[in-house]
Parts: sequence; C-alpha cells; structure tokens
Amino acid sequence: MTRAYWLLQRLTQLLPVLLGISVICFALLQMIPGDPARIILGSRASPEAVAAMRDRLGLDQPALQQYLTYMSKVIRGDFGESISYKVPVSKLILEHAPVTGFLAVYVIALAVPIALILGMLAARYRGTWVDHLIRMLSVLGMTMPVFWLAILMLRLFSIDLGWFPVSGYGQGFLGHLHHLFLPAVSISIWMIPVLVRNLRASIVQQSVADYVLAGRAKGLTERHIFTHHILKNASLPTLNLFGVLVAYLIGGTVIVELVYALPGLGLLMFNAILGRDYPIIQGLTLFYALATVVITLVTDILSGLIDPRVKA
Amino acid sequence: MSEQVIEMTSRPGVQADELPLNLKIGMAVVIAWVLLAVLAPWVTPADPNALDLDNVLQPPGAAGLMGTDQVGRDVFTRVVFAARIDLWIGFAGVVLPLLIGVTAGLFSGYFGGAADALLMRVVDITLAFPFFVLVLAIVAALGPGVGNLIIALALVGWVSYARLVRAEVMVIRNAEYIQAVRTLGFNRFYILFRHVMPNAMAPVIVYAMTDMLLVILAGAGLGFIGLGVQPPTAEWGAMIADGQPYIEEAWWISLFPGLAAISFGIGLSLIGDGLARMLRVSN
Amino acid sequence: MRISVMFLALMLTSIGSIASADESPPGSRPDIIRIASGSRTLTLDPTRSWNSGDIETFGQLYSRLFRRDQAGNLQPGLAERWEMSADARTYTFHLRDARFSDGTPITADDVRFTLLRMRDDPEALYSEPVSGVVDVVAVDQRTVRVMLAEPNVPFLDTLEVCFLGITSRADVENRGPGKAFTEHPVTSGPYRVREWKPGDRLVLEANPYYWREGFPRNGGAELIEVIDANTRIAMLLAGEVDAIRQLGWSRAESFRAQGKVSVPLEPANLIWLILLNHAQPPFDDLRVRQAAALALDRQAMARVVLRNLGRVANTTMPASLDHHLADFPGWPYDLERARQLMAEAGAAGHEVVINIAAPSPQMELIGLILQAQWADIGLKTRIVKMDQGQEVQRLMDGDYNASINWWYNENPDPDLALRWAVCGSCGNRAYYTNYSNKEVDRLIAEAAREPDPALRRVLYQRVQRISTEEVAQIPLFYPPWVNAYSHAIEGLGMTPALQWTLENARHLR
Repeated sequence: MTRAYWLLQRLTQLLPVLLGISVICFALLQMIPGDPARIILGSRASPEAVAAMRDRLGLDQPALQQYLTYMSKVIRGDFGESISYKVPVSKLILEHAPVTGFLAVYVIALAVPIALILGMLAARYRGTWVDHLIRMLSVLGMTMPVFWLAILMLRLFSIDLGWFPVSGYGQGFLGHLHHLFLPAVSISIWMIPVLVRNLRASIVQQSVADYVLAGRAKGLTERHIFTHHILKNASLPTLNLFGVLVAYLIGGTVIVELVYALPGLGLLMFNAILGRDYPIIQGLTLFYALATVVITLVTDILSGLIDPRVKA
Repeated sequence: MSEQVIEMTSRPGVQADELPLNLKIGMAVVIAWVLLAVLAPWVTPADPNALDLDNVLQPPGAAGLMGTDQVGRDVFTRVVFAARIDLWIGFAGVVLPLLIGVTAGLFSGYFGGAADALLMRVVDITLAFPFFVLVLAIVAALGPGVGNLIIALALVGWVSYARLVRAEVMVIRNAEYIQAVRTLGFNRFYILFRHVMPNAMAPVIVYAMTDMLLVILAGAGLGFIGLGVQPPTAEWGAMIADGQPYIEEAWWISLFPGLAAISFGIGLSLIGDGLARMLRVSN
Repeated sequence: MRISVMFLALMLTSIGSIASADESPPGSRPDIIRIASGSRTLTLDPTRSWNSGDIETFGQLYSRLFRRDQAGNLQPGLAERWEMSADARTYTFHLRDARFSDGTPITADDVRFTLLRMRDDPEALYSEPVSGVVDVVAVDQRTVRVMLAEPNVPFLDTLEVCFLGITSRADVENRGPGKAFTEHPVTSGPYRVREWKPGDRLVLEANPYYWREGFPRNGGAELIEVIDANTRIAMLLAGEVDAIRQLGWSRAESFRAQGKVSVPLEPANLIWLILLNHAQPPFDDLRVRQAAALALDRQAMARVVLRNLGRVANTTMPASLDHHLADFPGWPYDLERARQLMAEAGAAGHEVVINIAAPSPQMELIGLILQAQWADIGLKTRIVKMDQGQEVQRLMDGDYNASINWWYNENPDPDLALRWAVCGSCGNRAYYTNYSNKEVDRLIAEAAREPDPALRRVLYQRVQRISTEEVAQIPLFYPPWVNAYSHAIEGLGMTPALQWTLENARHLR
C-alpha cells in the first residue's frame, strides 16, 4: 500500500520536474549568444535573408510567447522542426536514440559484472597485491583520455587485426554488438573504476559494522554474512552512483560518439548546440530529462527493494 | 614520478595500525605536485609560453627534457606550469560542489519532509539537464575562462555529493547508535554534525578524490569546443588535446602531460583510499 | 582477477569472431564510393546554404546550365548552346533533352523557376549574384531567355555555381519546399537521394535519367559525416571509406611518405587571412594595420602551421583565381618598419583581442604566433577561443578586433570573390571588416561590365593592389585541399571550387 502510494507520489513529482526543465532550458537558450538564423545561413547571408528566417521562426516574438507556443505544441506531441535540417525533431531523436540506448545497455552489461567482481575482490583481499593491482588499473582507466585509448584500440583492433569496425552502428543485433564493442569498452574502462572504487569503499566500511559482528556471534558463515548483509548494504551507495552514471551515459557519450563516428544522441546534441538548432536542443533536453527521471525512479525503487529503510 | 609510486606501492601488505602507507605515498605525490606548481618559475627557467619557430617538434633530449611542441614551446616547462592551473581547477572544482552537495544531502537526508522533496526535485532537474547545454549557457553568458569553468562544473557537480550523502544519511539516521543519542536528548544539529556526518563522509571522500580527476578531465573535454582554458595557458588536458594532430610524429607533446595527469591521479586515489581507511578506524 | 581477465579475453575473441559472421556492411559493394568528411550536410535545398558540407553535396544532386571540365574550362551543361545579344544584356539558352530523376523532362520553365526562386525568395542566399536578372522567359519547352539590367561578364560562370542547380518546379510546388528537399528530392545531377540521415550520412544512388551518357561511373555514393580527423584516417586505413576530406596539414607529409594512401594536394580557390576591424582602434589606423602586417613572419607561419603545403599569400584574393596579381610583393617581414609605423601611430601598448572559432588547431597555432609576433611591435594580445556560433555573431556584429578566418570562392572569376572580400558597399562591409574604399567598389562594378579580358585584368589587379596596400585584411596563405584517397579507386578528386569529381570515380579491379 505505502509503496504504491510512494510510487504514485514520485510519478506526480515528475511533472513539475519536466516543466521546470523546459522553462530553464528555454531561459538558457535565450542567454546563449549566437543567433540561429545567422549561424544557419552563414556569414555570407544578407541581412534580409536573416530577417526573413527570424520572422519565419518567430524568433522576434517575446520569449514568453515563444515558450508558450512551443509548449502548447509539445503537449500535442509536436516537438517542432529542426531549423537547419527542416525535418521533425521527433524523427531525428528516434533515429539517433537507438544507438545511444544500445550503447548504454552494452556498457552496463560489460561494466557491472566486471565492476562487481573487481570491487568484491579488492575488498576481500584489501591490502594485498590484488587490491593494489586493481587500484592501479582503476587509476589508469580513469586518467586515460578517451581519444588516446581510441587511437590505440583503433590502430590495434581495427587497422592491424581487423576485428572491429572503426565507425558506425552496424545492422542487426550482432552487427550492433560488433560495431559498438570498442565504444562500449572505451566507456567501460572509465566507468568500471568509478564503480569499483565506490563499491570497495562501501564493502570495507560495511564489513566492520555492528551487524556483522552480531552475525558472526550468531554463528553465521562469512559467506552468508557477506552476500546477505555486507554486499546488500554496500550496494546501496553504489546503486545511487550507478543511477547517476547511467543518466550521464545517455547524454554524456558525446566524446565517444564523436571519436567512433556513432550517430547517437550525444552527437545530435553536440551539433545542435554548435548550430544553435533550438528545437533540437529543447526536444532533446526534454527527452533526456524524461529518461533521467525514469532512471532515477527505477534506482530509487531498487534502493527501496534492497533496503526497506530507504523510503521518503 | 609515477614509476616511483608503482614501485613503492607494489610492496605487499600494509600494516593496519600505522598511518596508512598509501596515504603517505599519495600525500607525497600530491605535495610534490603542489611544490612543483608553487615553485614552477624556479624549477624551470624557461617561459612556458615562449615560442621558438626554429625549433618545433624537437624530440626529448638536446632541445629539452620533454622536447618541444608544434610552436617550439618547451614541453617540460609547460607540464610544470600547467600543474598550477590543473591543481586549482581540481581543488576549486571539487571543494565548491562538495560543500554545497554535502550540506544539501545532510539536511535533506536527515530531516526529510518538504525540504527533502524540494531538494530532490532540484537534484532531479540538475541531473536531468544535459551537461553541455548547461555549461555552454553558463560559460557563454559569463565568458570563457577558468573561473567560469569552475562555476559551471560546481553547478553540475554538487548533485553527486548530495545524492551520495543523502543515501548514507537515510541509512545512518535509523542506526541504533543514532537512535540512542537521540533518546539522550541531544540537539538535532549536534547529532547531525557530530554523529551522522562523520559516518556519512567515507564514500564522499573516496568519491571526491575520483571527482577531482574527473573534473580535470572534464575541463579538458570542454576545451575541445572552446570553453576550457584559453590559449596560451598551459593546462594538461588542453596540452593532450593540442598534441592530438601530431600523435604520429611527435608523441611527446601529449604523452608527458598525460603522464603528469596520471601520476597526479594516482596520488589522489591513494590519498582517497588512505583517508577512507583512517576514517573507518576513527569510527 | 584471473576469471575476469579470462572473461574479457573470451568476450573479445567471441565478439571478434562475429566479425566474420557479420553480413557485409551496406556500401561495401564495390561500385559504391564512400567518403568521410568533417563537414555536415545541413540541407538538400541548393538555395539555402553556404555551408561547406552542403557545397560538397549540392553539385552531386543538381546539374547546372554549364559545367566545368577537368581542366577547369566552362563546358555546356543542361544548356547545349547559348547566344548573347549585341548589348550583352540578353542571353538565350537552348536546353538539351534531359530529364529529372523522376523521369520528367527538364524544361525552360524549370530553369526560369530556379533562377527566379534564387532571386526572389527572401531566404535564398545566392540572390546577390543573380540580382541583375530583370526577367527570365521560357520561350518554348527547351529555350529560355534571360534579361539582365546591365552587362555582366561573369554571368555564365555564375550559372555554373552549385547553388544554381536546376530544380523541378512541379515537384517543389506540389510538395512544397519543406518536403521536396527533405524526402527524396527530385534531382537533375548524377545522383539521387536513396536515404538521408541528418547528422550521420547521405546515401546516394546513380540517377538513371542523368543526361551525361555513361555517368556516373559508379552505382552510388555515401557521404559520411565524421567530425574527428583521427577517426576519418582510421576509417580510410581500415578500408571503411575510399576517401576522406581534411586529412589535416600536420599529417599530409607523413602520409605522403608512407604511401599507403594517396594525398594529392589539390589546388583550391582558398585563402586564409586575418580579419581586422577597421571601425575600432587600433586597426582603424592604416599605419597600425600596416605594422601588424609587416610584423608577421608569414614564411615561418606557413612552415610551422601549413607545413609548407601552400604559398604565402601576397594579395587579398586567392591565387588560383583569374587575374591574380602574381608578381606583387605583398607584405614582407620587416620588423623595423613595423616598429616605426607603430611609433608614428602612437599605438604601442594597445590591447587587441583575437577571436578564434573552436575547435580548430590550425587557427589556434596562428593565434599563438600572432600573439608572439605582434608582441614584438608592442601590441598586447588576448586570444579568445569561442564556439563557432559566437564567433560568427561577433564578426557580423563588428564586435571584435582581429579574427582568424578563411574563405573560398565558388568559381575562378574574381568578381564574386572581391565583392565578398573587399567591397564596402556589397552588403557584407568587406567581410565584416568595415573596410570601405569607393575607388575599389567602383573598379569592381566596372570590371563586371568590361568584356575585354585584358582590361578586366588591369581593373582587378588594381583592386588587389589597393586593398592589399590598405590592409583590408592581412592575407596569410593559399592552402590546397588536403584530402586522402584510397589506392583502390580512380577518378575521384576535388575541384578548386570544393566539388567532388564523384561521377568520374570508380573502383579499380
């Protein structure tokens, strides 16, 4: 009952968040210097052409009116048309979303099992060479610039060995798996260390908690204590961090998409910002917000399932 | 620098009751970088921004310890001077969001209620906002440069701390010992700062060390679209990026700043681990 | 630890082995030419963009009345024959029997529609060069007459420019320009659109109705947008594409030496330059502009930045254009005279902001060198790197001191080039520098009417001499196009006007 109520409450909270985001996004776009009409038409356009375009786009109307016009369309499911491409924003997002979505899931599938294993190993054998090695590799993984890694991996796996393609998304499930492998590894190499370090710290912290002593006193096996108590409690902060990271993945894979020429949402956003394509930026921001809010919600629900004490 | 670290930490086993060795080594590395940054003009006599068009792309050796870059600047000098900027970005870029985030997370997690709900919505909005849009708007409005970069990073970065602390606090506040202290009638704020906060800080500190590294790297990433440090300022991330077109013929331009960043990163993470251990001991 | 290493190794090999099982990716058919470019295709409507990525594509989609052959000479295109009236104000074009990609004939009415749309549509960008068109009359199905307000010698050259590709009136009017240019546009050139994925790639297939017999020599093409140069190179080396745009000046030499791909350094109607804002101190003072030009060691700059792939620029106009003033010394490196001029102007100690659009490693290098060399004459500088949107905005608003920039011309005739770069009364205030010289403007207008090539030459050379001496801008150098091509194809290249010779390309067996 209470959980259902809590869920309902969370869902109703979603609306103001989305509304808030749309307002802030609109306000921010007003702040960014650079007139879309001028940027799209280029420096050789006549003032008349610029004026004609601004007029057609409604850019000279008051900001509030522009916002209301936009939102009334959004409510009807119309995210408008890209200024430069002149195709519907929803079409562009739907074209680019699968790449990023697939990549995000791929990264999770690669990173989470490895992070769990490494984190547990590091905690279990803390202070030994295992721990040190994992930590050193973690630091290397985090500090290695993505494009260095990309150049090295492309040179080895794509050009010399020919195992993986340099660019693109491929066709079919296996094709995606094949094409996105190097990009997924690139992100994982950076993401695994963040998760490992967090998990390790939590496990180490939990393993000296009172309930562990109590468990030992009750005669529970170390294995039981570890899997049923320590790991469960330790996964909580990591899960939270994981939520943040997944949300970040959806919009934060720009550099990887750029380096591996993947037509994903990050690249779409990058180009839209550089080209001041407001409808794409606004539509993507809302899409991104929706995805993030859903992920946060799922994370919270999972937290609640793991630890019943966590409840708003 | 980094070789030394690897050699020393590869010694197995650390005694639990002395000051953690990794903390000592980490401190040594970071302090060494701080000293290098402060004493940069005395460490290397050259001007980090002096061009020498007759000596471009010279390999390490006669032309300098780490060679010269595409406009003949001394890479070693620039790596040392870059520490000034990077340490500052890392420090300010973490301390600011940490203070904001921890405070917000503490109150929100401990007291709950309307304040918590409100804060979580703000967190949701910040998290749900694409990083690029936010940072571009902020930097575009305030102008590019290190200071505004830090402000932009702080506006985004505090969220992670708030969420981490809040999650910890929500567990801790129901712990037996907190219940016990509460029944003794202590002031709520006293309990929050004296008992809850210290116990909630371990993951924050571990994350802060990681975050410092991420902040430095994020600065470099923003430099790519022209929102990071402005040329000719020496900064590791920018130097790595600048060397990219020359990676075939002059690997040293981006390798050495890369190694500098890695060695500093190792120092930070060792400190993070050491601190985590010490804090646990003090529980 | 061991387990996870094994796990990783297993993953790597198993996914690696999928490579062989994977169906061959689209476009690997040998008659498809694949090109990776850092420029983006923003629109398929030739009236709507000056963007270099669009210029690269327009020519593949739409034929013009004239075309340019390999040697750069004007040849009949959709116009088989033409006549000019005695007063040089009326042109009559006789169209060949050609069809659009939907099989409908290309008529005089379509030509009229194309020209008038460019002239009259408020958002059409290339309206200035056709603004002198008074009227266009479709005499019959295959004859079209164009009336000009006054003689315009480069008019035929203008008709060859990719923006004036002939589009179908019936289609644009039926579907509306929105749909007609986004969903399978009706084309008149060697290709038609198979699929357009904005922000990713443009997939082209041979236009079966293309008027040139035997062309294109391939089945289609893919124009792929790849922002990162290292990625483009990796794609070329891995055989995923046949050619790449913008290899990067720093890499040309070593790639030529390696010989794995061909790097031909193709001539370009291109100039790199520094724009100075004449409306603000210190560059409102001619002496300061001259000092700024004299203080630059452009030989060294060309060596370090351009890696000697092109020449140092000596006038305000690209050297590949007709009537370039080749024997003019330009601005030599003369520090002493520069200092003297600075002292006369009393401008030492002035702070100058140099705007740079990011990301451009080359511009950044030029900025650094400017900073160092201008410091020698007492000009303090601050480099401000900003994203392109802001850079363009500040340039157009006149909110800058100096800006590092480049431009290229669509054809070899100097008319448009000089209108663009140094004309103060042609709409863009001489490339937003606020340079204005009535004499220059008058000479440009006069040269456009002058039928005698020798006299035109004299006029254009005077324009170059005056604008260079008055430092309308500081010309830097004339770089070539630096593209790289696989040895597996032939016939593909780039013209000085930024057009791929895609229809000639084919894979070698």
